[in-house]
Amino acid sequence: MSSRKKVLLKVIILGDSGVGKTSLMNQYVNKKFSASYKATIGADFLTKEVLVDDRLVTMQIWDTAGQERFQSLGVAFYRGADCCVLVYDVNNQKSFETLDSWRDEFLIQASPRDADSFPFVVIGNKIDVGDNKRLVPQKRAMAFCQSKGNLPYFETSAKEAINVEQAFEVIARHALAQEEAEEYTGDFGSSTIVDIGADSGDDGCAC
Amino acid sequence: MPEEYTPPASPTASFYDLSEDDEEYSTITHTSTGRGVKLLYTKSKVYVHPTPSAKDNIPGFIALMQQKPPTSVAADPSDPVNPSNLLLAWLPESAIGTAYDTYVKVDLLDTGTPPKQTYLVPPPPISSGSSPLGSYSFSIPVSQIYSLLVRPPSLGWWWGSIVINSRGGDSFPALFFHDSECASTIAQSKARTKKNFDPFGESGELFWGGDEVLRWLKRFVKVERSQVEKTVYLIDPSKDDLLSFGQRPVIDSTAGKNRDAAAANASGSGDFAAAVMDPFTKVIKSARWSLLEQFAKVTQFSRQTATNMLDNPNLPPQVRKLLKNPDVVSLQDDFDSARLYLARWAMGIAEQSERERAKIVWKREDMMEMEDSAVGEFEILDIEAGNIRGDGDRRRVVDLKEWNSWWNKSTGRLEITADEVKERIFHGGCEPAVRKEAWLFLLEVYPWDSTKDERAALMNSRRDEYVRLKGKWWDDVSRREGEGEAGEYWRDQKNRIEKDVHRTDRNIPIFAGEDTPHPDPDSQYSTIGTNVHLEQMKDMLLTYNEYNTTLGYVQGMSDLLAPIYAVFQDDAVAFWAFVGFMERMERNFLRDQSGMRAQLVTLDQLVQLMDPVLWKHLEKAESTNFFFFFRMILVWYKREFEWDDVLRLWEGLWTNYLSGQFHLFVALAVLERHRAVIMDHLQHFDEVLKYINELSGTIELNSTLIRAEALFYKFQRTIEASDRRHGFPSPGTARPMVRLTHRRTDSSTATTSSTTATANKGKAVDKGDGPEITDQLREMLSRDYVRVEKKPEDEEGKGKTPARE
Ligand SMILES: Nc1nc2c(ncn2[C@@H]2O[C@H](COP(=O)(O)OP(=O)(O)OP(=O)(O)O)[C@@H](O)[C@H]2O)c(=O)[nH]1
Ligand SMILES: [Mg+2]
Repeated sequence: MSSRKKVLLKVIILGDSGVGKTSLMNQYVNKKFSASYKATIGADFLTKEVLVDDRLVTMQIWDTAGQERFQSLGVAFYRGADCCVLVYDVNNQKSFETLDSWRDEFLIQASPRDADSFPFVVIGNKIDVGDNKRLVPQKRAMAFCQSKGNLPYFETSAKEAINVEQAFEVIARHALAQEEAEEYTGDFGSSTIVDIGADSGDDGCAC
Repeated sequence: MPEEYTPPASPTASFYDLSEDDEEYSTITHTSTGRGVKLLYTKSKVYVHPTPSAKDNIPGFIALMQQKPPTSVAADPSDPVNPSNLLLAWLPESAIGTAYDTYVKVDLLDTGTPPKQTYLVPPPPISSGSSPLGSYSFSIPVSQIYSLLVRPPSLGWWWGSIVINSRGGDSFPALFFHDSECASTIAQSKARTKKNFDPFGESGELFWGGDEVLRWLKRFVKVERSQVEKTVYLIDPSKDDLLSFGQRPVIDSTAGKNRDAAAANASGSGDFAAAVMDPFTKVIKSARWSLLEQFAKVTQFSRQTATNMLDNPNLPPQVRKLLKNPDVVSLQDDFDSARLYLARWAMGIAEQSERERAKIVWKREDMMEMEDSAVGEFEILDIEAGNIRGDGDRRRVVDLKEWNSWWNKSTGRLEITADEVKERIFHGGCEPAVRKEAWLFLLEVYPWDSTKDERAALMNSRRDEYVRLKGKWWDDVSRREGEGEAGEYWRDQKNRIEKDVHRTDRNIPIFAGEDTPHPDPDSQYSTIGTNVHLEQMKDMLLTYNEYNTTLGYVQGMSDLLAPIYAVFQDDAVAFWAFVGFMERMERNFLRDQSGMRAQLVTLDQLVQLMDPVLWKHLEKAESTNFFFFFRMILVWYKREFEWDDVLRLWEGLWTNYLSGQFHLFVALAVLERHRAVIMDHLQHFDEVLKYINELSGTIELNSTLIRAEALFYKFQRTIEASDRRHGFPSPGTARPMVRLTHRRTDSSTATTSSTTATANKGKAVDKGDGPEITDQLREMLSRDYVRVEKKPEDEEGKGKTPARE
């Protein structure tokens, strides 16, 4: 059957400049953090092969520039995405407030078949910086995620490798579910269906 | 499968008795068998992937072990370990049995040196030719290892791997390092990051498990990385091995003699160049295109093709070896992006030989010989490039002596034409000492016809003006406190600038330090520290906002400023040079991105005109938005070249010697260089983007500039020819020309008969009426660069008068 068919999951990371998109991606794929990543210009992606429930899938993780001015160029790679990761910096109020517009922008550009069920995952990054600098309380972030349809929420540190693996595991899971749902509606009987409902409840942050 | 080999020393003598106590060290013993070997190093979670399915992966340990030296040899503790007593082995976890704990322990020891304590484990099976199916375990004496094929994790290769090639010509199965599962690798890589902020391994790439294996081996034997094929490490190589792997030829007396002999035997003068080339380059040269083509076949077709290819007598031995490796042959079964690997690999070889060839002027006959009809057109270009290259004197670097000789000693006025100066800098570039002066002319801070005194006066007023502009925000306390809309905007700008300056060229010594405490306790970087140059950069970018009050800071601008600041290291001088640079770069940063779009469209038309076949291919790959050149165009290849090359490239571009948009010819040159790979291997937008992004750090600047120049001349001729056909420019033709008629009308039908259809189309454009030349294309003949049009009220705020409020 189609067991030999490669599953490619396309994941897009969005968020303001400097929130740590590139750092998160590199921490997840390459297991490293470098203080000297440059500001992202244009777009790039990394791939990683992972096992999701015994299925080997390839994640293609897209990292783009965060500055508003470059957003209009995003169209080309938003299309065909299976999951969108919205990142903000817990020490930066503004980066949290723009999450909504990143989400809207994505839905317009990527125009997924069913906008309501399209999987987003929210990440609050840089939790290592220290409590006295933190500007976005966890409660607020969780309230936001709840209001947007119970989006899974993680608090991470790309620098200290906290929660990064866990967040991307959930991202992979949701992306695969999305991919299979699309495949199911599009191309009949080519793949087995994973029960999507089962894992949506308790993915969020463990805190 | 590897053949059996016979261990060199008497096998009975080569094991430690497991019950035997080492005098100095306590010994962990194993009682399951009577004999053992010392486990020096091991690494866990090293897998064999027998099939493409992850289910079948077999986890195991790679290990370096020491056999007991034969008893006949007097044991001298100061003697280095004889490599024939060392075994490199791989054992599946399942085969290790009770020794498992010992393996785990040694894996986690993490000492640079072999363990003090002696850990004995049962000897591994020697080789594996006859092992039952499913057991891939093997071991080989280090002295029998010819080379390691080492592939760190990268695109498509999430697991780094090592393939061991024996001196007998066999390859063992590829060993994949699942670093994310390996406790010792995770610990080592963390320690590395902590210790010196350098998560990178020996090769300057990301640290991974395979680095450790190389480190182990280097303790005992010589390990040489091949210059040509960076993934090959030779173990205790002979001179011949080194030579055939493209090491720069060692100039010693024997080599000299051989060369003389070869030269003496050579009959024609054309052979002379061949005689001084190392054998490998020579093979590549003679097989140049057919080799690339065959690589394409290996990846596109089957194992069978690869086998046939092995019969090709032109194949260099190391390529043959690589292709024999079952792992490589089955690449396309494993990963979608596998063909990229071979493609890049082949390109790496070509690039290397390009470097080697740098001093050889190509003979026209050579070129013809090499030529292949499929790529004929662009081979002709190489002839042209070859001729340009031969123009040696023009490409000499402009040194201080030459620069000074152009200026009148007493007045300091230029005594040759500005064009002559530009021509020299365009072709040769500047010596560092020249830059401090030359760049101020190229960036239009100084007029070319000024005198020394005029320039001194000008610079004085520029300095005052910089101080005044900077004072506008520096002295504006309410803005700096973030009051009101202006204050909010200023703070936001400051944050953006700061965030980027701290991420800009920190590998360059002047920007590296963090020795100064941060002046602003509220800054996001207040805990990290800064340095005086970073602070200057921030101030200059903030001040630029006072000069250009409409643009605002945009990412990429810090990349443009850094080299200028580094050359002048004087904030006021560098500021005005930066202003000059921004005059031409401003359109890259406009809010609506219109300037970037315009350049990508121009590039699209340029490729369409110059290489319609390639363009068609890119269209099929949905890449004609040319987005994959976005980064290169936005910051003028800053991220693609090393620092010194960036300086050289930019000063050449600043001359506008051939075109005010020569940077687009550089883009075309890069594209043409990789044409074969793109055409043969890249079929989708993401593949093209990834491939082009990853060229960063691999592009050879000099040959690229030469190629770009050749392409410009060809472009010029194409347009002239078209104009002649059309009797253009006819007097009074103000109407813009019609665009090239290409749009996507036929794209859906063109899939099956594509090759012939495309080829015909390509020609059709040139026959008949010839291509129509758009305004954008014609503009590229101009030596003016494109400025952002200012509204009249902006204009007065520009230039040499203070910015408007
Ligand atoms: N303390 C801390 N700093 C982080 C963390 N993640 C990223 N950073 C720092 O934040 C800055 C920005 O990180 P990037 O990963 O480059 O941010 P980005 O979102 O990719 O930014 P753009 O490419 O400009 O869109 C860098 O200086 C990082 O070192 C984190 O988890 N903790
Ligand atoms: Mg980034």
